[in-house]
Amino acid sequence: MTTKKSALWSFFSSVQLAVVLLSLIAFFAVIGTLVPQREAAVELAGRLSPGMFSFLDKMQIFDLYHSIWFFLLMILLAVNLIVCSLDRFPMAWRRFRLRPVTSDENVYKNLPEENNFQTTLESFRVKAVVADLLKKRFRRFESDDERGSSFFYAEKGRFSLFGVYIVHLSILVLIAGALIGFFSGLEGYVNIIEGRTVNALNLRNGNETLNLPFDVRCDKFSIEFYENGAPKSYQSDLTFLRNNQVISSGKLRVNHPLELEGFRFYQASYGASPEIKATLTVLKNGKKTMDKTIGLGEIFNLPGGEAVQVIRVEENLMRMGPAVKLVVRGAQEEAAFWVFQQIDKIREMNPGMVEQVPMFNPGSFRPYLFVLTGVEEKYYTGLQITRDPGTPVVFAAAVLLICGLMLVLFSYFRQIWIRIDEEKDRSKITIAGRSYKNREGLEREVRYLLAELKNNLEHSK
Amino acid sequence: MMDTTILSWVTFIYFAAFVFYLFRIILGREFWGKLATGTALAGLAAQSVALIIRWKTSYDLGIGHAPLSNFYESLIFFAWAIVLLYLLMEWRLKNRSIGAFVLPVAFLLMAYASIAPGINNRIEPLIPALQSNWLTSHVLTCFMGYASFTVAFALGIMFFLKKDTNAESTNPGVFARLLPSEFLVDELIYSSVALGFIFLSLGIITGSVWAHYAWGSYWSWDPKETWSLITWLVYAVMLHTRLVRGWRGKRMAILAVVGFGCVLFTYLGVNLLPSLHSYMT
Ligand code: HEM
Repeated sequence: MTTKKSALWSFFSSVQLAVVLLSLIAFFAVIGTLVPQREAAVELAGRLSPGMFSFLDKMQIFDLYHSIWFFLLMILLAVNLIVCSLDRFPMAWRRFRLRPVTSDENVYKNLPEENNFQTTLESFRVKAVVADLLKKRFRRFESDDERGSSFFYAEKGRFSLFGVYIVHLSILVLIAGALIGFFSGLEGYVNIIEGRTVNALNLRNGNETLNLPFDVRCDKFSIEFYENGAPKSYQSDLTFLRNNQVISSGKLRVNHPLELEGFRFYQASYGASPEIKATLTVLKNGKKTMDKTIGLGEIFNLPGGEAVQVIRVEENLMRMGPAVKLVVRGAQEEAAFWVFQQIDKIREMNPGMVEQVPMFNPGSFRPYLFVLTGVEEKYYTGLQITRDPGTPVVFAAAVLLICGLMLVLFSYFRQIWIRIDEEKDRSKITIAGRSYKNREGLEREVRYLLAELKNNLEHSK
Repeated sequence: MMDTTILSWVTFIYFAAFVFYLFRIILGREFWGKLATGTALAGLAAQSVALIIRWKTSYDLGIGHAPLSNFYESLIFFAWAIVLLYLLMEWRLKNRSIGAFVLPVAFLLMAYASIAPGINNRIEPLIPALQSNWLTSHVLTCFMGYASFTVAFALGIMFFLKKDTNAESTNPGVFARLLPSEFLVDELIYSSVALGFIFLSLGIITGSVWAHYAWGSYWSWDPKETWSLITWLVYAVMLHTRLVRGWRGKRMAILAVVGFGCVLFTYLGVNLLPSLHSYMT
């Protein structure tokens, strides 16, 4: 390692900077939740002076998370992470590569008194006990006999040396993925009335529209409700076309997006379209002559040539249920009247009314009688459409993050050396350990091994 | 509704456990400690049964889903996770004094769930956006994280109390003797925060996967999302200052309390702000 580092390098490799940056990002995020953002900020415009508002707007206070400030913080964080990792990684790599010597004598220097104890057991029995314990605790160990002493070595968690670097790498990958999304992603929405085809979508940012490389047709929208009236499920049957040729089709449900050529379609919302259709049955002299489904303003002809036009369609007129207003034009006469779907119920509640008020009499145009069998509302489906090539990158970062965190937080690199020295009628056992990061954990490990060894030796007597 | 009846009993059981833990610290008799642990265990068992009944009932109603879907259910699960984590810790450490600081939080959450006005404890059908397995894993991981941070918070409070009692007299009373050493408390705060950090990371990730499927973007800076990120950053700062700057003891305790404030705001406070997550209420 070079002894002299430039001031810039030490600035960017410092963890103080990391702590400051993380705190700053948190602070920015807090501001962003307190100050209304994007569309919500419009409401503030009325309450602030115009000069103030446009100043704050220029400073991108109303779109903090996409502002140059936030962007800069992210870049600084990335540089900080890169420099810090470049600064420290070689050390971790050296520690990783460093092969321990089983019979290393140096590790036993300056050990506290309680790290060794004596036993009267024969040394081959002691060796067996030590080997057993190391195998149980570390799975693998190495041993060596030299100069009348036996040496053992075991370790755990060597790979966790890399955990921190994996975590930090994941943050870099995350930032990269977010930037890809920021620069080349798009987010839009479009409402399609059942049966219609659209090609353009409205972008979320600004008032622009974007033409898709294909057409989207909504063949059908269906919805189911729970008994309490809340929607249970809804879906759109979509067909994708290019040059009037079907290229793909599918059912789009909430939580189950469709994907085509990098664009993802989400079922986001729905609503009633202004288009309502009524289904009518026409009787002539009491005999059924025709059924008709017809939209607002449309005209159809009766067998006798008279024209019928629907001029209003109501789902619930005067709280008496669905109704349509018809105008029927014959050669000489003309009549306008309402046709209620629940005519029988209305007759029951207001006896005589229907007959006395021509306006409410579905038989006003003799000899025909009109029966409304249903009013069918048409829905539009609300689609959210996104394209974000950064998404897989971000999810890769998430996997890296979790793996790295598991390595860093749930394990640590620890090395254990044990030697058994034979002295006449007794053996001396000494335990030494090393950990770069977690001294307390290592102490616990050594204490545990000492206690287990004493216990096991006692039992094998 | 049998499950809500059991749950209101559990509230009192947790309160009793808290009182017994307190007796143990004040009177110093291990009898109270054993009674407290037994009571807490009984409460946890009863609560688990209630949760299972609730789960099953929702299937009987034909709207089957895990009991993790509205505000009431999240409060109940939060309390359950706290007691579970605490009892695991007690069992591993063989130390009962932390209970007096953790159980009251569980009790308050349960009490809030049953008496606060406007909390709906009925089993409700799920609107389409919530019908996702990611919802279950999201809520599960988030609240396990919150519960770990709650334990860290309780330890932080304990740290301050212990410091105070130590300072007041040269001859520390039973109270201070029964509490674990400052060194151990500090270690435990770190372990709880580490566990919580992993769970919160998982919670944020499962949440973004869910948002990716339901709304078409993995992150939309909705206030609840943003506050969970803020919480995550606070704990990231905590891990760094401990490891790299060597902060210990009082500073860790302060950060544990601050972090818990963020958790509470993420959970409850953001409902004051408009949000996609507002169906939680
Ligand atoms: C959101 C961003 C970050 C996250 C989530 C993160 C996460 C972590 C975690 C979990 C640890 C291990 C802590 C422990 O073992 O208790 C760690 C350690 C560390 N972090 Fe970060 N970190 C972030 C940003 C940074 C940045 C920007 C720097 C830049 C200097 C940095 C420098 C370090 C260093 C030097 C260590 C100690 C490594 C060691 O020697 O063991 N971190 N980080």
